[in-house]
Amino acid sequence: MSRSLLRSDRSASLLWRRKLADRMATGLSWLAMLIVVCVLGSILWTLFKNGLAGLSVNLFTHSMAAPGQNGGLANAIMGSILQTGLAILLGTPAGLLTGIYLAEYGANSVLARTVRFVSDMLLSAPSILIGLFIYMVLVAPLGHFSGYAGSLALAILAMPIVVRTTEDMLYLVPVAMREAGIALGAPKWRVILFICLRAARGGILTGVLLAVARVAGETAPLLFTSLGNSEWSVDMDRPMASLPVAIYQYAGSAYQDWMQQAWTGALLVTLGVLVVNIVVRVGTRGGRT
Amino acid sequence: MEISARQPLPATKKNHPAGGVLVVLGAIIGVMAVGGWKAFAAFGPEFLISAVWNPVTQHFGAAAPVFGTIVSSALALVVAVPLAFGTAFWLAALAPPAAAAFIGMAVQLLAAVPSIIFGMWGFFVVVPLIAHYVQPTARHLFGHVPGLSALVAGAPFGTGLFTASLILAIMITPSITAVMRDVFVSMPTVLRESAYGLGATRWEVMRNVVLPWSRQGVIGAVVLGMGRAMGETMAVTFVIGDSNHIGWSLFAPANTIASLIALEFPESPAGSLKLASLMALGAILMAISFLTLWFSRWLLARGQKAAGG
Amino acid sequence: MNVEVQTETVAAEQTVTVAEAEKDIRPIALQVRDLDFYYGKSHALHDISLNFPERSVTSMIGPSGCGKSTLLRVLNRMYDLYPGQKATGEVIFDGQNILASGVDLNVLRSRIGMVFQKPTPFPMSIYDNIAFGIRLHERVSRSEMDGRVEDALRRVALWSEVQDRLSSSATAMSGGQQQRLCIARTIAVRPEVILLDEPTSALDPVSTARIEELLDELKTEFTIAIVTHNMQQAARCADQVAFFYMGKLIEVDSTARMFTNPREQQTQDYITGRFG
Repeated sequence: MSRSLLRSDRSASLLWRRKLADRMATGLSWLAMLIVVCVLGSILWTLFKNGLAGLSVNLFTHSMAAPGQNGGLANAIMGSILQTGLAILLGTPAGLLTGIYLAEYGANSVLARTVRFVSDMLLSAPSILIGLFIYMVLVAPLGHFSGYAGSLALAILAMPIVVRTTEDMLYLVPVAMREAGIALGAPKWRVILFICLRAARGGILTGVLLAVARVAGETAPLLFTSLGNSEWSVDMDRPMASLPVAIYQYAGSAYQDWMQQAWTGALLVTLGVLVVNIVVRVGTRGGRT
Repeated sequence: MEISARQPLPATKKNHPAGGVLVVLGAIIGVMAVGGWKAFAAFGPEFLISAVWNPVTQHFGAAAPVFGTIVSSALALVVAVPLAFGTAFWLAALAPPAAAAFIGMAVQLLAAVPSIIFGMWGFFVVVPLIAHYVQPTARHLFGHVPGLSALVAGAPFGTGLFTASLILAIMITPSITAVMRDVFVSMPTVLRESAYGLGATRWEVMRNVVLPWSRQGVIGAVVLGMGRAMGETMAVTFVIGDSNHIGWSLFAPANTIASLIALEFPESPAGSLKLASLMALGAILMAISFLTLWFSRWLLARGQKAAGG
Repeated sequence: MNVEVQTETVAAEQTVTVAEAEKDIRPIALQVRDLDFYYGKSHALHDISLNFPERSVTSMIGPSGCGKSTLLRVLNRMYDLYPGQKATGEVIFDGQNILASGVDLNVLRSRIGMVFQKPTPFPMSIYDNIAFGIRLHERVSRSEMDGRVEDALRRVALWSEVQDRLSSSATAMSGGQQQRLCIARTIAVRPEVILLDEPTSALDPVSTARIEELLDELKTEFTIAIVTHNMQQAARCADQVAFFYMGKLIEVDSTARMFTNPREQQTQDYITGRFG
């Protein structure tokens, strides 16, 4: 390059300043990205560093116990599985039906817009309030904490996620496919059930899995509903342990072995949630191409 | 989370019964208000402005946790918005495609990490950093500056408003980033190309064309992030320090509505005035969250109208 | 005597040649030499050599996917936005090879402007759409800017239509107005070359006619390269036409000769509508 393309009637200093602004903005942008990546790295590193040491068979075979009693997290893991499972069983059909209504029947009617708004609202509503709500309507009147209450709170958190993905996925079903079904003389509900839902099932499954990942790590709503339980229990009508609540209890303690289990539990929860997310995202990407 | 414009489809039935979600929301607000009624009745409007939270004298007020909630969320936004914008800018305009896919995935994973993990990480990693480095440095720098000294006063516990804001910021950054990135890349290619075609730099294209074009989406993302920060419980509970007073210092222990509820609930017997006060706080939080979300929706609707008309 | 007559004939012949030559030796604004272009592994342009004479309209025609738009996007290095796209060969502009690595793209694009298929008004006011480009490259006072904006809008015959609503959003204009605004935005930067990528394909016939008239005026000042699908448009606007097929430059000639007497059979087939 012998000389610049800059014309003589243009200001070189202005160009220089623009370049400088561009360099600074892009530099800061790189910095922001690096900070975000470092935070994720630091979180994962901390979890592995502190959590791996406590990973043992004992953890999965023994229930929680007093400090020094060689306890595990078996009951908490079981409790989390049961409560999350029931929450998904309750939340998925409700979310699915609402999503179908919004996409196929409600469209832009006043009711549909209201339902959509409320569903979005629930999606970002503080989860602690969902817990308080279930406490007020279920736990306080019945007089005891229970796994059912916990599941219900989690179901309310899971539902809007399923609503959202169901609706979005149904919108992606080509109109031509719908019309082809209608043209065959199929009633609308059959078209929705056998054509639209079938075409959208991958996306809807994604939504359900994301809902699992979301509620499995929830702590706050369970504090007021299933409370926690240090004994082994699969009776959902009684207070029930869960991994996040166990982590919360242990992490705030002063005992070495509890702390260790809190870290290991945190590692388990995070790995579970992240693995589901990775599977979902890699899976959907593969499905699209 | 989603702000895409929906395509109106022909509705076949107008009043199909699917108001389940509606009932749930109405019920939540109603139940909270009923639960908190005893507190509102006992303290009257003073409940809202009183900063006292004293279980011994049975005197409860909402001002301190409301203050903590608003200040921590606002500070969190101050940190999170530039961070999220920078990352989204990088992902949308600067990154090589392979790196963008990888880092984009990392950002989404960070968004999926349960909040209790942020709390633990904050307590064991960030709190010592704040206590040993950040606050002493801040006091050294600003401790004798009139006006600023109050902001950095207090013993270096490491916990407090500032730490909580930082953790909240880190927690909401990924979701804000994801939405911003999505709106940035959804801008039509020709529009971007015509800006480059005039000789604009990447930053000029972002600042003058992409940002104005995606204004509504960006605002929506930010307000949603704020809503999430205000309602967050576990990440805050670990690091805020549990103290109910209003002060100038950023490093003093404090409480948010959510952290106060989580911390005090176990010691609040059913039917007590304290539990009623917690419920009343819950109703206030619900109202604030609702207003925030409603506000973001309103902004989006207005933005869309301006763009379309 | 005999000799004289002969000399006269030669002189007459020479005049013709000179007239023709004069047309051809018009200075070259852009010179493409041995250009090859790749989208990843697919080889989109093969060994293109083409001159764009100053202050004239060169029209590029050919069926979809023939590489004409690709060539246009090489000329201001728009392809640089996309990793994996690569050009080899040379494009000489102002004595420099603009495909070389050290070229300042911001400066290059201020001198080689581009107008796209669809109107692309920026989400800002009409005034700011024009002022945006100017502000990038020049420091101008407020009053000078007003003058520049008015001038640009007048040149695309938009001034009378929008002078009362300069501060209203550009996205609210009609399609034809938007496209003229985009042309105004491009010329306001005062480039030397303007690239137009099927600028009228999204417009109605009336708007199209106005843009074509505009091109005729603009060529007194700018070098214009236009990609078009529309054969009549090429015939009406261009001084020189280049026909592309399957990534190769089949033929380039003056518009008159291209449409009356093309040398290649493929060109003949295309312009008579036998394929494309």
